[in-house]
Amino acid sequence: MTEKERKGLDRVREIYQDRAHRAKELKAEGKQVMGYLCLYPVLEMLTALDLAPYRILGDMEEPITKADACLPTVVCPFIRSALDLGLKGKYDFLDGVVMAHICDVGEKTSHIWRTYLNPSYFYFIDTPHTVHKAAQQQFKEQLKDFKKTLESFTGRELSLDKLKQAIKTYNRQRALVRELYDLRKPDPPLISGAETLQVMVALMSIPVDEGIDLLRQVISEVKERKNGPPKKPARLLVWGSIIDNTALIQMIEELEANVVIDDTCVGSRAYFPNVEITDDPLDGLVYRYLVGLKCPRTFRESVFGETKKDYIKDLESRFGYIKDYAKEWNVNGVILQSVRYCDVHGYEVPGLRDYLDHIGLPNIYLEHDYSEAALAPLRTRAQAFLEVIG
Amino acid sequence: MSNEKKKRAINRLKTMYPLRNLIDEMYKRGVEASKIGKPTAWSMVNWWEADPILKAMDIEIVYPENYGAVCAAFGAAPAYLDRSDSDGFPTHMCGYARNCIGYTARMKDLGEIPPEAPMGGMAKPMLLLSSGSLCDARYKWFQALGRYLDAPVWTVEIPHPGVEESFREGAYESAINFMVKELGEFVTFLERLLAKKMDWDKLAEITDDIIKINRLWYEINELRKARPCPMHSRDFWSCMNASLYPAGDPKESLKLYQDMYQEVKDRVENKIGAVAEEKYRLAFAELPPWHDLKIFDELAERGWNFVIESWAYHPPKPIDTTQVSNPLERIAKETYQWFTGSFKGALKAKEYMGYFAYPYLEYARDYQCDGALLHPLLTCRTATNHLMLVQDRLLNRLKIPSLVAEGDIVDLKLFDHADTMRKAETFEEMMDHYRGVRREEGFEW
Repeated sequence: MTEKERKGLDRVREIYQDRAHRAKELKAEGKQVMGYLCLYPVLEMLTALDLAPYRILGDMEEPITKADACLPTVVCPFIRSALDLGLKGKYDFLDGVVMAHICDVGEKTSHIWRTYLNPSYFYFIDTPHTVHKAAQQQFKEQLKDFKKTLESFTGRELSLDKLKQAIKTYNRQRALVRELYDLRKPDPPLISGAETLQVMVALMSIPVDEGIDLLRQVISEVKERKNGPPKKPARLLVWGSIIDNTALIQMIEELEANVVIDDTCVGSRAYFPNVEITDDPLDGLVYRYLVGLKCPRTFRESVFGETKKDYIKDLESRFGYIKDYAKEWNVNGVILQSVRYCDVHGYEVPGLRDYLDHIGLPNIYLEHDYSEAALAPLRTRAQAFLEVIG
Repeated sequence: MSNEKKKRAINRLKTMYPLRNLIDEMYKRGVEASKIGKPTAWSMVNWWEADPILKAMDIEIVYPENYGAVCAAFGAAPAYLDRSDSDGFPTHMCGYARNCIGYTARMKDLGEIPPEAPMGGMAKPMLLLSSGSLCDARYKWFQALGRYLDAPVWTVEIPHPGVEESFREGAYESAINFMVKELGEFVTFLERLLAKKMDWDKLAEITDDIIKINRLWYEINELRKARPCPMHSRDFWSCMNASLYPAGDPKESLKLYQDMYQEVKDRVENKIGAVAEEKYRLAFAELPPWHDLKIFDELAERGWNFVIESWAYHPPKPIDTTQVSNPLERIAKETYQWFTGSFKGALKAKEYMGYFAYPYLEYARDYQCDGALLHPLLTCRTATNHLMLVQDRLLNRLKIPSLVAEGDIVDLKLFDHADTMRKAETFEEMMDHYRGVRREEGFEW
């Protein structure tokens, strides 16, 4: 079967296994491909200028060698892996790179990336740390400047109409991702957590319109197929730092559990928040990317300017959406996971566990070093956890 | 064995001692303030962005980051680290944060300051002031303390633009405007929290004093470019508190720094160095091994003079803000200058990590360093991320080698004193070699 003939989950697997292939094809056809790190670069602006966004990820299966000379071993192994791939030339097909203040290590790695890889186009978005009104305004000012640099790079004007059109297209894709996630609500779910993750990785590797077609095919296939995941006693939510490889989810799903929902950035966190269509489209984009994205890298108060802290109220405002997910997807256990040295997730762990205990959801925290080899001891812990929740 | 007292290898500044004492007094004041019901805040180092405002509102400030170093030096940290670990916080997190989390958990259990707490401990705060500047821990940590404290958390914002982005049209104005608006909200919040109004004249005066302190502190450090260097990094770390935190009454601190300026100037004029025979001039990055500062005395015996250090602890390069009437705008401009002060040179040199990394190139050139001692920290990514870049750039751009000695800010076990001293001997050969290379390539030193 040729590439063009492959559809649905076959096509997803193909992209997952060689995710740069389509981007390289597009480049050969004359399209400019723009790499981006994490969730904060505004993809609608890239697409509106006919650039193909391509998410920079790591590779758990590739030993880190070249990045050892640029980043110490005590920092996020995912970021080190992504930089390592860059240094090995595996992102050479990118025409430019957009990075952002995603976390301390991500911010510094952005500048290290620019220093060593010297991309033709580079822009750094300084994402504010709070969601205050002034922070939203500051974010907007940067997006205005980002727009100017993109226009200069492409030689094209980013019109309001094109931007609004791109926003609608991305919202359509996000709605389809929601529809796909809805297929995990039945018991057993119609699509596994590992398959869903492959779809998410694929979507981040191809242009948005192709992603929409792919999602439609996958949803149709999954609804019709008879060989979906088996029913299992545990229906889990997986929370935490980036997972861009199926190994961890597969390990969990090989046990007596289905992963039915996630709160990670190659998953629901990236696709659930929509962009509101506003008169000035940048306003909707600012709100979605700064306020709507629920990454713990951003500081939030339960009430702006509160003079007394109520711990449970604070937890509710930060993690209440997880309770909603748990209810909608009928979850009976939560696995919190993080790559080692991820501070923004690490600090959340005791608080989130307090919250999950408060709402009566069994939970466990697993820390790993972004390598398949380190998963074996986690399997034993996951198994013990599943036995506890029955 | 001779009974004669061995002369210290580092010639410490006499004016350092009263400045160093300010930090001890800071903890005492915090505890006393708490006893009489005066408001106290725990604050992250905020590079003078929030300190003048807190001081103008008569809030006593205690700095838990500094307290982490205090606990490490007094040997109290391990128990607090263990407590943090047992409460489920990952062990790779910032040592200062884990120390504070453990301390706070224990304070909550006891209902009072733990009796074993060094320097009288940190009193229970009514406010936690976190900062978005430099590292994730400095706002996530205080957010996590909600488990143990009911104090509200306010996060002050400092923009972190890229080097090139910071020079784009309108970027500077936008950043300052953002900071001023946020500081205005912070003042409103404090007024509500304390049920009192800001005394704007007082804020203007304190801001002015702090800026004067930083100017003077900057000038003192400029004098260290002299050969031999008159002031060692140990004196810098001992005296930075009155600027960085800023501990103590600003007018008193200003007077103490004036005394110090005079002493350092006298040394320069009389060619008195901080070490007896300055064989090597070194830069240090970033946070020193607080619990093993004596290693610098041993290195000084070998003629190593640490002439510049710890970028993040230095004051901003001077800018003129005297015509700015709004104290919040003045504060914003000074703090932003601290962050971006080296960006112009960085852009010219096409070095895109304009803070943390590029300043070491400036330092090494301006202070004519022979080497750098880099101290990667297991639990502080912020002080470690850039060190390999620094090492690479110093060597390839300025032909300056670096010695890397791993450690931690709190965990004593991670710094290998003996191994560092062994490496130091070999490193001298490298410094000698590269001194020759620099001469061959036309460098000034």
